[in-house]
Amino acid sequence: MTAQDLDTLAAPGAAVRTPRRRGLLRNRHVVGYLFLSPWIVGFLCLTLGPILASLYLSMTSYDLFNAPQWLGLENYRKLFFDDERYLQSLSVTFRYVAMSVPLKLAFALGVAMLLNRGLAGLGFYRSIYYLPSLLGGSVAIAIMWRQIFSYDGVINRILEQFGIFGPSWISNPDYSLYTLVTLAVWQFGSPMVIFLAGLKQIPQDLYDAAAIDGAGPLHKFFFVTLPMLTPIIFFNFVMQLIGAFQAFTPSYIISNGTGGPADSTLFYTLYLYEQGFTNFRMGYASAIAWILVGIIASATAISFLSAKYWVHYGDED
Amino acid sequence: MSRRARHTRTQVLRHILLSCAAVLMLYPLLWMIMSSFKPDELIFSEPAALPTSLDLSSYFEGWTALRTSFTTFYMNSFIIAALAVIGNLMACSLTAYAFARLEFKGRKIWFALMLGTLMLPYHVTLVPQYVLFLKFGWVNTFLPLIVPKFLAVDAFFIFLMVQFFRGIPREIDEAAIMDGCGPWRIYWKIMLPLSTPVMATAAIFSFIWTYDDFLGPLIYLNDIDSYTVPLALRAFVDSSGGESLYGELFAMSTLSLVPVFIVFLAFQRLIIRGVALGALKR
Repeated sequence: MTAQDLDTLAAPGAAVRTPRRRGLLRNRHVVGYLFLSPWIVGFLCLTLGPILASLYLSMTSYDLFNAPQWLGLENYRKLFFDDERYLQSLSVTFRYVAMSVPLKLAFALGVAMLLNRGLAGLGFYRSIYYLPSLLGGSVAIAIMWRQIFSYDGVINRILEQFGIFGPSWISNPDYSLYTLVTLAVWQFGSPMVIFLAGLKQIPQDLYDAAAIDGAGPLHKFFFVTLPMLTPIIFFNFVMQLIGAFQAFTPSYIISNGTGGPADSTLFYTLYLYEQGFTNFRMGYASAIAWILVGIIASATAISFLSAKYWVHYGDED
Repeated sequence: MSRRARHTRTQVLRHILLSCAAVLMLYPLLWMIMSSFKPDELIFSEPAALPTSLDLSSYFEGWTALRTSFTTFYMNSFIIAALAVIGNLMACSLTAYAFARLEFKGRKIWFALMLGTLMLPYHVTLVPQYVLFLKFGWVNTFLPLIVPKFLAVDAFFIFLMVQFFRGIPREIDEAAIMDGCGPWRIYWKIMLPLSTPVMATAAIFSFIWTYDDFLGPLIYLNDIDSYTVPLALRAFVDSSGGESLYGELFAMSTLSLVPVFIVFLAFQRLIIRGVALGALKR
């Protein structure tokens, strides 16, 4: 019998008089942790534990069957100085990010500008432009893209009408990365939806005031719309940046899991997958993963540091 | 030209521009759908033409073209997606309720840790998680794809729900406490029923992301009988060498988009609003 039971036996009214009942399941700290327990187990076993394990494994050689062998920083040294395919995957990924993110945002903003302000059928267009973003992550779309840009695909059939005979875009190392960039840009819908929401927030009186000062549409865009939208541009930029570094499915499907032709579509995560889950070099793959964390963290940090020079938050002036 | 006429003209111009762009954007999809209804030899010879007849043979042949039929793949995909949705809703809402409403020691630290995992690329946990699930004997089962959802590993949904719960007036909880409700009853009888919009948004995105997930099943499912639809499509590309079975490949790819498309049609407003909140990452 617990202390509380004794209490209530002794004085039946006591529990009512003191609102804070004791008992383990009534203790607010215990209750809090009970609610949190699934997440805490997940966090410790599936996030924090693996993060630490991965940091350790990244300094070992580990093939799943034999115990990990300590290598110190050897994996990292090898990656940067002795692994040309790794450097190639870095270069491919950086080029992909550098092309796809700005283009995607430019399309998103451009179409959002066209859609904004009292256009009939806005909801309809918005849905159509958004649809590719929702479907785009799937294997089916990557397969479709591969066929469109193949030698006898639709793109070349259309170019033929204009007398241009295109190559097989996906199997030519000079062009294959661009097909992946176009696939990313095709999915400009989700940043566009966010831009539309941001455009709606810009107060109409700013435009009215600009009009009184004699500003034309271009002036309004550069001196009202763009500055007012910088927080949204910043948000979209960071989210797209982080996402683009982690892209996997399109590169895997379009290159049939090889990163080819001639490693021209060897995305960072594809190389990680290949080392870890095809070659079972788990230590090496962990080192690759940790460098990715470093890259994404630095890219995000640089974006945030740069923000104070170009992002305007309404309340500062 | 009057102001009004000029306004109408720009409106018409915008509509023309936007519809052309829309057709251009949807053309690849339309092409794939049209091709799936054509005999193979016509797919590339007349890419722009509408199919002359609705030839469903690609669908029937594609459905059973692999060693295992697509019935199994869809069953697998839906089982995993359904359990992932349930797991995410249960575990994330419990966690979010604790963070949003309960007072206990260490809450701030845990909350900060949770926020810290929001931006973490999941690749960093991929290898050790695989090692762990391998030791459990879970590889080649659905468990590695489902159990983490019941442990609220998708911090993003927790964050979404915390934001929503915080918006629910505290007076409602306080009134319930006066009536003698404990935290469990408040969670179950008040918070959850008041949170249908955020729960629906979380359910929709859990479903779509799990259904479309490729890397997870690719790593954990090796046996063709346990394949999900995306893995089966990849196997299709491999087995046909991508050359002769175009019609079947397009038919199965088109079909695989249908569930997401239906969800989109049914919950368009909710999805668009969710994205517009600036909260959803894709």
